[in-house]
Amino acid sequence: MRGTLRNKIVRFVAVIVAGGTLLGTTACGSTPAGAASGSGATVWSLNDSTWSSVKETFVEWNKDHPNEQIKNEEFANDAYKEKIRSAIGSGNGPTLVLSWGGSPVTDYVSNKNVVDLTSDLNSVVKSKVLDVVAAEGYRDGKLYAVPVGQVQPAILWTNKAVLKEAGISAAPTTWDELLQDVAKLKAAGKTPISLAGGSKWPYLMWAAYLIDRIGGPDVMKDILAGKTNAWSNAAVIEAMAKIQQLVDAGAFGDSYTSMTADDKADTALLANGQAGFDLMGTWVYADFASINASFAKNDLGFAAFPKVEGGKGDPTMLTGNLANYWSVASSASKTSRATAVSYLKSNTYSDSIVKGLLSSGGVPPVKGIENEIKSADDGTGFLTYVYNAVKKASSYQLSLDVALPSAQGQALLNNLEQVFLKQITPKQFAEAMNKTLE
Amino acid sequence: MIRIKNKQYNLVGGFLGWVWLLIVVIPIYYIVVTSLRDQSEIYSTNPLSLPSKPTLDAYGRVFANDFLLYIGNTLFVTLVTVVLTLLVTIMAAYAITRRADGPARTIYKVIIVGLAIPMQATIIPVYYLIIKMGLYDTLWAIILPSVGFAIPITVMILCNFLRDIPQSLFEAMEVDGASEFKIMFKLAIPMIKPAIITVAIYDALQVWNGFLFPLILTQSQSNRVITMSLWAFQGQFTVDIPGLLAAVVVSVIPLLTAYIFGRKQMVAGLTAGFSK
Amino acid sequence: MANAIYQKEDDDRRSTSAKLPKNHLHRGPSLLYTAPALLFFGVFALVPLVGVAILSFTNWDGLSAITFNGLGNWNRMLNDPLVLNAIKITIILTVVSWAVQTPICILLGTFMAGPQKYRALLGVLYFIPLLFSSTAVAITFKKLLDPNFGVGRAFGIDWLAHNWLGDPKTALYAIIFVVSWCFIPLHSLLYQGAVRQVPTSMYEAATIDGAGTVRQFFSITLPQLKYTFATDSTLMIVGSLTYFDLVYVMTAGGPGNATRILPLDMYLKGFKSYDMGGASVVGVIILALGIAVSLILNRLSGSDKMESQMEGA
Repeated sequence: MRGTLRNKIVRFVAVIVAGGTLLGTTACGSTPAGAASGSGATVWSLNDSTWSSVKETFVEWNKDHPNEQIKNEEFANDAYKEKIRSAIGSGNGPTLVLSWGGSPVTDYVSNKNVVDLTSDLNSVVKSKVLDVVAAEGYRDGKLYAVPVGQVQPAILWTNKAVLKEAGISAAPTTWDELLQDVAKLKAAGKTPISLAGGSKWPYLMWAAYLIDRIGGPDVMKDILAGKTNAWSNAAVIEAMAKIQQLVDAGAFGDSYTSMTADDKADTALLANGQAGFDLMGTWVYADFASINASFAKNDLGFAAFPKVEGGKGDPTMLTGNLANYWSVASSASKTSRATAVSYLKSNTYSDSIVKGLLSSGGVPPVKGIENEIKSADDGTGFLTYVYNAVKKASSYQLSLDVALPSAQGQALLNNLEQVFLKQITPKQFAEAMNKTLE
Repeated sequence: MIRIKNKQYNLVGGFLGWVWLLIVVIPIYYIVVTSLRDQSEIYSTNPLSLPSKPTLDAYGRVFANDFLLYIGNTLFVTLVTVVLTLLVTIMAAYAITRRADGPARTIYKVIIVGLAIPMQATIIPVYYLIIKMGLYDTLWAIILPSVGFAIPITVMILCNFLRDIPQSLFEAMEVDGASEFKIMFKLAIPMIKPAIITVAIYDALQVWNGFLFPLILTQSQSNRVITMSLWAFQGQFTVDIPGLLAAVVVSVIPLLTAYIFGRKQMVAGLTAGFSK
Repeated sequence: MANAIYQKEDDDRRSTSAKLPKNHLHRGPSLLYTAPALLFFGVFALVPLVGVAILSFTNWDGLSAITFNGLGNWNRMLNDPLVLNAIKITIILTVVSWAVQTPICILLGTFMAGPQKYRALLGVLYFIPLLFSSTAVAITFKKLLDPNFGVGRAFGIDWLAHNWLGDPKTALYAIIFVVSWCFIPLHSLLYQGAVRQVPTSMYEAATIDGAGTVRQFFSITLPQLKYTFATDSTLMIVGSLTYFDLVYVMTAGGPGNATRILPLDMYLKGFKSYDMGGASVVGVIILALGIAVSLILNRLSGSDKMESQMEGA
């Protein structure tokens, strides 16, 4: 009968189509671009200017190792953070995994996403890198993350010309002075403090410094240890109240919530003479020069975060990022991992990298480079200032969003933003954050 | 108000019509002039003034950033998705309408349920599936779920049109001894060609402008589609506003060209989603 | 417009098929023809649908293994101020954008339906925003609404230079404006089609009766748009549950959660906090809301027509 033949043909076609589609997808889909196959390694790096010296090492490496090429792909900071975890979770991550230390590294280690580098790189890291920066790469005494790039504490940047115009002679050393300066700058028609609120994480620098200056380093230690109600510490409440005091004083202007750090909106505001202060990481030094060279040379000032009268904290304490770190992905092929390890061996703060970093305005967290720093100084004293600040720091708190587990870090960013927007009170902030510790 | 003999004028509508024209045109005008502006003018001049020395530099920067690759990726994803969608939906819609029996009706109902559901809410399991299939960060990671999501609306529209073909035509071909396959190709497909074009455009627009799948299911530069590249440019071209808006202009040119040459079909394709 | 056509054709078809003998023997092609479509739909729509429900009872951080944790996520999420806030914001976004767009669309649609040539030309221009991806629109308006170099400065009007997207009080409304910019052309077009289908004779009769433009609009045009109104509203409301791209690119939910709608909350929980279980709970909430809205609106409006359209297969 007609029907049976017809059915056969139809069945045949249907099976072919269904099967073909699936086959096609698996055949074509088997080589995700991120995964390294065979020899050579892949790496994702950031596209900001401070990475140029690191990028050069890849170029150099590829010249010398035609059979062990490293393929570099660049991301914007926020885009990178958004992608890297999915990539690693799916086994498609790069061979060399960039991080800022903190909870992501802890997670990678506990899920065995990254390999133990102790036997290959322990001696290099221990002998070269400043202890406080090196320590962040270890978990249970084993090395998983090798420092790379410059040290990145947050410091108080100033526009000396703007300060002068407003009748301020020097950067504030106390909280009360800061408040007075804010009033003066406002009267002079300036935005007192430039703040990239749109990026949210710049809020953390204010919180971390204030909590430390008021209550000392133990407050954050309790929080990081997950102690019950650790966020209700009086120092936290006072720090949040002080933030709102600044907001009430109009210290951040009206458009800070939509300025983002990736857009360099905050640094541009300072460099173009529209703001007096900017609390930001040292990595923006190069940006200042590229936005307004004469400002960077003549009017750019830098200072420690002021102390709070009666506070327990020590003004030498720093917060911010320590450095960046490389880990080696366990999902990469054996040869890719070998390439990555041998790259790290020869490129962890080699002399040429230290030089390159210094010349681009970054301070390498390397022991005993006082002389190199002196000779690289561009006359502003910036490099020396940062190097000494890091060496003298009584404690160094890693950026809280990195140090805390990611869900808590996101909750902190979220609640802190609401403190700045005055949508919640300091007490509500503490309550909301305590919940994340449960 | 319409087709009426007296010349009373629809004042409110007329006023709104012109105001809306301004609201539509100003942003578009802004994109174009800004993309032609020199970087140095951005902060100093009126954003809606004509550039004092128009330049195509911004477009140069866009194309220097692999934009052609992204257009190629987007074209590939769109074409494959549309072809796959049409292939599977035409067959399904044909069987459903020709049979019109219990099982076919059930299948239709199951598929149509997809219309009432905000499918984006299932993105996390989709992400999980794609990882497990080893497709994460491939263009197929965008294509396959896009086909899955496009099926309900496409099947529904195709069925609506197929049902309009008079039974007598099918019967005539059957009497001639044509196989179902032949009937589908020789009769059904040519008869509903306008509907196929309409759904093809609709599906293509959805994929071309899609954001969530590429955002979550791909990551690397080599697998970037246009919407992702715009998003990435936003991070990369941080202070380069002319460059960013030039990228916006370039992203819309293919569709604008299609609109100029096939306005009727484009309009039909876009409003096809309305039959939801 | 399209729908009206389908509806009409659908009716025609039913009348013809009614003439066919019920015991028509022919059974048509094999059901295997539907297999590829069912495969795609099953794997990428039905499985995820079940999957999101299952995942809502699990812990998964994107890196480690998935573990069941019972009602833990549900307890956590239903007490999460962010989720409650997201539901509230989503409802505001949905209702306000519906209330703003609908009257404008009806008026613009009526206007475009006029016989004058220039009106059709305006219609062609109105359509252009539909060609832009949400990402492109979001980027454009982010720049346009910037208080420092945006459109506010262009006109030198102080209130226009407000920090629209950076002020938690105005951000959501700024987004509703941009949503309207994107979608009003589409919905107007649908109303235009519907208005054109109103029989001319009705207006002629009204004119003879001496009814003015305004009265004709209220007594003829509006009642005739009832069906379009219902379906268009459904489309608008279900659609606004899933705005993601626009909001994500423009504000990423900020400032201070002011625009953190449900899809965004789901994304941020899943892919920023790596709380996939919690994010799945939010996914289920979105699904439930979407289905509820579809069902309710379907009941209220042309439920019979919709049903018959489905049954007609």
